[in-house]
Amino acid sequence: MSSSCGNPAADEQALMPRRLKFGNTKDCVRCRFKLGNIVIRHAVYCKECFTPMVDMKFRKALEPSVNARAGTSKRPKLKASGNLCLGFSGGLGSSILLDIVHNTYFSTRPPLDDSGKPRGGTNHPRNASVWPSCIVCYVEVCGAFAGMQDRTEDIRSVVERYPSFDFVPLRIEDAFDGSWWTTVSGSNTTPQIWLELGKDGLITDGLHVASEVNGLTPVEAMRSYLSSLPTQTAISSALQNLTRVLILHTAHSRGSSHLLFGSSLTSLSIALLSSISQGGGYAIREELQEEWAPVVASGSKPSNVLRIVRPLRDVTAKECAVYAWWNNISVIGRDKQRRAILGIAALTKNFVVGLEKDYPSTVSTIARTCEKLEPKDAPSGQCRLCKRPMQSAIQEWKSRISIRSYSDEKLAADLAHIPSACRSVLDSSTPSHVPLLPSLTDFLCYSCHTTLTSRSSRGVKQSVPGVSSATPLPIWVADRGLYEDGLMGIGARRKISEEEMLHTVAKFLTDNQACEE
Amino acid sequence: MAGTITIKLVFSGGLELLFGNEQNQSVLIPSFVPSDNSTHSSSSSSSSATSSHNDIPSTGETKAADLEYLIYHLRDHLLKERPELFMENGTIRPGILVLINNTDWELEGEGSYQLCNNDEIVFISTLHGG
Repeated sequence: MSSSCGNPAADEQALMPRRLKFGNTKDCVRCRFKLGNIVIRHAVYCKECFTPMVDMKFRKALEPSVNARAGTSKRPKLKASGNLCLGFSGGLGSSILLDIVHNTYFSTRPPLDDSGKPRGGTNHPRNASVWPSCIVCYVEVCGAFAGMQDRTEDIRSVVERYPSFDFVPLRIEDAFDGSWWTTVSGSNTTPQIWLELGKDGLITDGLHVASEVNGLTPVEAMRSYLSSLPTQTAISSALQNLTRVLILHTAHSRGSSHLLFGSSLTSLSIALLSSISQGGGYAIREELQEEWAPVVASGSKPSNVLRIVRPLRDVTAKECAVYAWWNNISVIGRDKQRRAILGIAALTKNFVVGLEKDYPSTVSTIARTCEKLEPKDAPSGQCRLCKRPMQSAIQEWKSRISIRSYSDEKLAADLAHIPSACRSVLDSSTPSHVPLLPSLTDFLCYSCHTTLTSRSSRGVKQSVPGVSSATPLPIWVADRGLYEDGLMGIGARRKISEEEMLHTVAKFLTDNQACEE
Repeated sequence: MAGTITIKLVFSGGLELLFGNEQNQSVLIPSFVPSDNSTHSSSSSSSSATSSHNDIPSTGETKAADLEYLIYHLRDHLLKERPELFMENGTIRPGILVLINNTDWELEGEGSYQLCNNDEIVFISTLHGG
């Protein structure tokens, strides 16, 4: 609202006029002929110029990544090496993504003859297409939220409006389903990995692999995993990672060369800040655009690379909303419960949306600045949980900056200064020079490690009564086998339960006694 | 009705859920309204009032009905739940786009735009991401 300019010579009731959010004229900056209808970051566009402007931004963000090799031509013929996969959530950005991709690359498909083949033959110039086919992946998350409606069929009806697209529905619990993993990886010997829980029902800092395996259904396993996470932020982050990796493996297994997400500039900036806040700064470039392939066992043929692109990364949420409105794109939206995201992501969203209202250019600045960031060293591998690049020597760094034990006995005994939720975690008896047992920690990025083990003053619901004292992890964590990494199998060092230890010792003593007799 | 104007409303982007899941509605509002946006005496709308969030009595001064008043009127007489998701600090919540006859309200003076009979006001929420 307007406020006084503070000039003592001015009328006390005089108010400073509000600064306009656009230039001096209301005419469209593109055609300079018609009156503008929309203001986008201080620039005014008429309705007729707005849609082509957004389409051009989309193509500029996507088309440089289409061809496998850049080539020397300034305007190369576009031809991808595989098919196209679109990640669809039902939200605003992904609804627009479907529409633009269809209109730009699939709606000009040649007419088919009676046998279903393109008229003129497949080699006819007019029949050349950038991608031979397109699949649309949707991950249903109702299994993670009690009482949430399954929207798979609603989403299917949206995708069916685009006849060139094939719908591939997934479920969030597929991440704990061995049969789904067999479908996408071809492997049917990948074991289910479990992590031990501490006395408070949360995952312990050591991330030790448990020895017992219980037969839970994928839904039960997924809910057990989510309920074991320490904070609401961790749950929100875990769901995003599960969704992402499910789509990655599905797209790769179906021969896709490109995977597109409908993240707008606004949602991308929110994701970047949220990721940095949760320790994901090392993989910040991958939030914008990345080339991904599943890690194969040593000696195996390298996998084809999947390019992950966000073509709406230069289009703000406001532009997306207006584009959908003026082009009659209906948006299902997300379930009310699902939209009520909690934790750091929600706070970041409120901050960025508020910033965008009064300072629209700052949202673009966030994304542009992150584009310039680059890690100092090469990644040491791929995180087993989120499949993003992993920084090396994280454990060493953490041990340098955190207190793991007290050498002063008096200080170790006095735990009054430590929050009660953390007291059971602090091991005052372990000397600092004892080498750490190999654990899953060495195979996770810093962000995932924080997701699993962060402590907060806010509690989460404890594990479901009757469920074992271990939590299952997504099926892909044991991909390539943890045997070669020394985490499982003969020779692997792992922490075992007290009962198993007693049983082993008792058996040893009994066997020895039998031999002596 | 003399002294009233009809405003056509459209709610989109999930915002319709706050208004009884009705995307298209219309309201009748007085041509002249209290300057302090009090909606206490304004009961001429297409939907029945559930509860008024603004029961401040009018000071007597009036102004031509503008968009700022309409937003208060919608909050007090049409909104079914969660007013904090529609209004914040006396104006529309950040993340909600407003179009006046297919034109951005930023080009029409935002809340100070004076409403005309049969204006179409579109409220679109941009908060449901990608």
